[in-house]
Amino acid sequence: MSRPGFVLEVDRSTPPILFHQGEGFRLEKLPAGSRVVYPAEPVAPLADPDGAIRQALLHPVGDSQPLPSLLHAGMRLTIAMDNQAVPLPPMARPDNRQRVVEIVLDMAAAAGVDDVELIIAHGLHRRQTEAELRHMLGDRIYDAFAPHGMLTQHDAEDHDNLILVGRTDQGEHVEINKRAVTSDLLIYVNVNLVAMDGGHKSTMTGLTSYRGLKHHHNVTGMQHSRSFMDPPNSELHNSVWRQGRLLASAVKIFQIETTINTDTFPSQFSFLQKREWEWSPRDRASYLAVSKSLERVPPRMARSIFHGMKSPQKMTSVQAGEVEAVHQLTLENVHRQHLVPVHGQADVLTMGLPYVGPYNVNSILNPLLVMCLGLGYFFNLYRGKPLVREGGVVIMSHPTRWEFHPVHHPSYIDFFEQVLAETTDPLEIEKKFEEDFATDPWYIHLYRNSYAYHGVHAFYMWYWGAHALQHVGQVIIVGGEPRAVRRMGFKPASTLRDALEMAEDVVGRDPSITHMHNPPIFISDVT
Amino acid sequence: MRLVGPRFPLGKPNWPASIPRPPVTRRTGVDYETEWARNYGSRLARAVIVDDVLRPVLHLIASPTVHGEDRLAGLEPPAIFVANHHSHLDTSLLLTSLPERFRHKAVVAAAADYFFTTRAKGAVSALAIGAIPMERTKVGRRSADLAAGLLADGWNLIMFPEGGRSPDGWGRAFRGGAAYLALRCGRPVVPLYLEGTGRLWKRGKRWPKVAAKGEGVHLVFGAPLWPEEGEDARRLGARVEQTVGALADEWSTDWWSARRRAAAGTTPALTGPAAGAWRRAWALDADASSRSGRRAWP
Amino acid sequence: MVAGGLVPGLGARVGPLRLADIDEPDLPGPGWHRIRPRLAGICGSDLTTIDGKSSRYFEPIVSFPFVPGHEIVADSDLGRVVVEPVLNCIPRGIDPSCSFCAAGLTGSCQNLALGQLEPGLQIGSCADTGGGWSTAMVAHESQLHAVPDDMSDEAAVMVEPAACAVHAARRPEADQPSTVVVLGAGTVGLCTIAAIRRHLRPGTLLASAKHPEQRKLALQLGADVVVEPDGIRRAVRRLSRSPMVGTGVGEGAEVVFDCVGSETSIDDALNIVRPREQVVLVGMAGRTSVDMTVLWHKEIRLVGAYTYGVETTGDRTFDMAFDLVRDADLSRLVSATYTLDRYREAIDHAANAGARGAVKVVFDLRGERYR
Repeated sequence: MSRPGFVLEVDRSTPPILFHQGEGFRLEKLPAGSRVVYPAEPVAPLADPDGAIRQALLHPVGDSQPLPSLLHAGMRLTIAMDNQAVPLPPMARPDNRQRVVEIVLDMAAAAGVDDVELIIAHGLHRRQTEAELRHMLGDRIYDAFAPHGMLTQHDAEDHDNLILVGRTDQGEHVEINKRAVTSDLLIYVNVNLVAMDGGHKSTMTGLTSYRGLKHHHNVTGMQHSRSFMDPPNSELHNSVWRQGRLLASAVKIFQIETTINTDTFPSQFSFLQKREWEWSPRDRASYLAVSKSLERVPPRMARSIFHGMKSPQKMTSVQAGEVEAVHQLTLENVHRQHLVPVHGQADVLTMGLPYVGPYNVNSILNPLLVMCLGLGYFFNLYRGKPLVREGGVVIMSHPTRWEFHPVHHPSYIDFFEQVLAETTDPLEIEKKFEEDFATDPWYIHLYRNSYAYHGVHAFYMWYWGAHALQHVGQVIIVGGEPRAVRRMGFKPASTLRDALEMAEDVVGRDPSITHMHNPPIFISDVT
Repeated sequence: MRLVGPRFPLGKPNWPASIPRPPVTRRTGVDYETEWARNYGSRLARAVIVDDVLRPVLHLIASPTVHGEDRLAGLEPPAIFVANHHSHLDTSLLLTSLPERFRHKAVVAAAADYFFTTRAKGAVSALAIGAIPMERTKVGRRSADLAAGLLADGWNLIMFPEGGRSPDGWGRAFRGGAAYLALRCGRPVVPLYLEGTGRLWKRGKRWPKVAAKGEGVHLVFGAPLWPEEGEDARRLGARVEQTVGALADEWSTDWWSARRRAAAGTTPALTGPAAGAWRRAWALDADASSRSGRRAWP
Repeated sequence: MVAGGLVPGLGARVGPLRLADIDEPDLPGPGWHRIRPRLAGICGSDLTTIDGKSSRYFEPIVSFPFVPGHEIVADSDLGRVVVEPVLNCIPRGIDPSCSFCAAGLTGSCQNLALGQLEPGLQIGSCADTGGGWSTAMVAHESQLHAVPDDMSDEAAVMVEPAACAVHAARRPEADQPSTVVVLGAGTVGLCTIAAIRRHLRPGTLLASAKHPEQRKLALQLGADVVVEPDGIRRAVRRLSRSPMVGTGVGEGAEVVFDCVGSETSIDDALNIVRPREQVVLVGMAGRTSVDMTVLWHKEIRLVGAYTYGVETTGDRTFDMAFDLVRDADLSRLVSATYTLDRYREAIDHAANAGARGAVKVVFDLRGERYR
């Protein structure tokens, strides 16, 4: 029986608490009176995932027919799916998408469908490598589809293969991948890692263009998404839902959503998922061995150790059918695993940032991504109110090296070196620089032909933290490289104690502190 | 000149003619007792033989590649593993390629009239590969009960439904033993396709040859087949045979084409063309060379 | 001179530079004046000489022993003056002048080792004239420019560096180029930025600066974008919105001013300039190893920019320099002053100016007892 998440009141007997710090960890003693929010333990996975998938496809929810009756010989079928930005860390084989797609294709084969195309709906993210695709879909699917050009990756800059389906009543463009729009049936397979994912967001970010994204991936939209992990209160989702409904009226969509539990770390790192006072002697030995050896190892090697790790997360639910009906069930399952009730906000919010976020799988967590992970994702993992009060301080822990992956994030380097040197105000940045980066032909070339994020994606990283930047009084990064931290307008501190002292200048003496014991992921339901 | 070995007491004594001889207890063939080979000590020894002797040797000779083992994710023992049969390499290959949780608690149904002809041969088979004796054609009560009892106790079963190695390189019709046991004990059948073992050590040859670079053998695991509601042994058996054929199709072309042919019922049969011997050999060669790219002749 | 080569500025402790009490130089002839320096700047070329890293090219046009210092504002019988240090045909009394001096291009005078003076490129490398780092020296009337009363000494001492910058900015034959890059933000770079703003009037002026104070000043003096040196290629690429060709920028900037003169900066300059356009070498480079394939392939014009004389408009560079110093308030670049007896510290400071948040370091002779 997995225990739910809870809030710990730190007292003098509380052991030091684990803080992630990129590819490393620290144990920090929090002052008495601090609170630590712990995630729920992983819920039990489905005993028979393949059976559950088949069930879901045969008994869909919402206004939808069972999948086999939607398939017939001679039809044009497209199966779109999330890219490897989810789940985090990448799950051990077989991935949810492999399971679902194999069963879907089995049904398609039984119906005699020949014209099938698989599309990786990665939006403006980078293309996946062959190894990543093989890991996600398995060798059987890869070897059957990729050599024949039937496994493709969405290209948001291929204007010959984008169709403007229409504009919503708010004037938002719905511009979608041509193959997807012109199919008799569009099936979307997702992995709903966090509450932000899924629903109409799947198609409207994954298969769209810059023109379509601009309507919600902008500073005002993000500032009014409080938070984007809580769709009913998210401006991002309002816009996306309008667009999605327009698309659904033009194309037949069969949505298949899956959720996973939070069994995040493999056995050699299991201490990361356990409450500190429940660490066995083996866990303590593991922690010491791992953290000491990581200190001695060069960053590149530490990165490859961590990125080679595959997570034992398993499927906890699968639902299929009409997009909105499916997504409602999905969110129930996500909340079942993630929601932790918390009373009241704090003056100071602390968080340890791990080595990976959605945008650096098999890559480097550069300073811009540190900001996005901390002030974008972690800060917004709330319903109701943020964990920190307005004007409070956020303290994050990460080495924040001035290091960028030149192939994956070329526009990020320029954004960090040139744009942030001029200003850190999101609105100014959007006004002065976004168009330039979004239309720069070199970035477009790299996005289409290399493995690079789109030129404008760096801006989205900064916008993702726009709500936090507005809300919070100061941001301090413990253990961060001072140059890089200052470039973002934040303050560096060498220890948590120093950071708390610096915070006192902003929030006053003896501040209330809440620490997010994340990962594994949770959403704070703050009242 | 003595025909029956050394003289008593070194050799066996002769019986006086007047004393009635007790009935002969047959202790070879199907009657060979293999229980001793499943105690802890024997299992330990077998684990060492399988992992530390058979495995490296097989890797050297056959350079095997395993495919589709992700289909076994979530499957707990016991299960019945069946495969096509072309060579003596098959059993050891299968045994050493099973995932750990199955490998060390497995028995192999081996032909009673080959592996258990003498007590010595029986002992070696039982110890080294965990063999249990089974009839080739009509399975008797004793072997069936033994196999079912072992399955119920959590032992995995490895069987070759064709009943023996292929004589000419093409497959033979599957017999129903595995399906029967699956139904009787409520456990799944895991089909496997073995490719290339017949090339290395075909029936009739004394020794295997070592695989050249790039010519290693392949094992393809299929998804476990659970007995369906109301399915009888014959239907399950047919399903197993079709699946192995589909796995072969999957390996030689690709998974998606194989699925479509399976759905349409056009999966090429493993038993080969209904034709005379030379045409079957001819077709076999054409099949192999079309895949490997080497011309058979001139 | 070995020690000087290892650590910047170390030559002052080990090399042949010393503070001495010597006789005042004689007046070489009519038209010469005795002047008393008020402020004298320390230039990068002085540091190179002291460190022993100077090119052997200069040997024939230098005469030992000499007093260094060619950025001079001094008192004379004509009032306060700024010295134009080049010892061309006129101070040397050579008649007729060489073709360059006749055309007013005194910086290109070729008679630097001839005439009535010892060999010497300029005051500050000639045994006969003395130099700025002293209390007394001599200069020809053609070399003296009157300093307006409302101009401070600090401003006046910047006139000579400003004149180099003005000349450099006028070297390229370009009319309002859309993108111009200045590599390096020491004194040369900063003055060049100011000069480019006024004389070249580019669309966008991009500069590279290693240190934060340099960055601030570069922006104040007229740069639009300032980046760190290792980000210059990316910055130019982004401004020109062109692809990268390997590590070089595809389209690039119309004019690149290299105010550093190192192997890295020349390499950067050649790789960020637009094909068929110009790289102006303002910083003195010395013997460097550079892959010239890129110059050949992109048909680049590599142009040296040395010093002043008369510009293409017919105006004397020094006159334009006075205007520049006033308009851009270049006196703020004088970061520190030292008396002569603290010359070792002064040279140390000048050699590490950027890292220590300084730009121009000068000797202050106004309080000297023996003036």
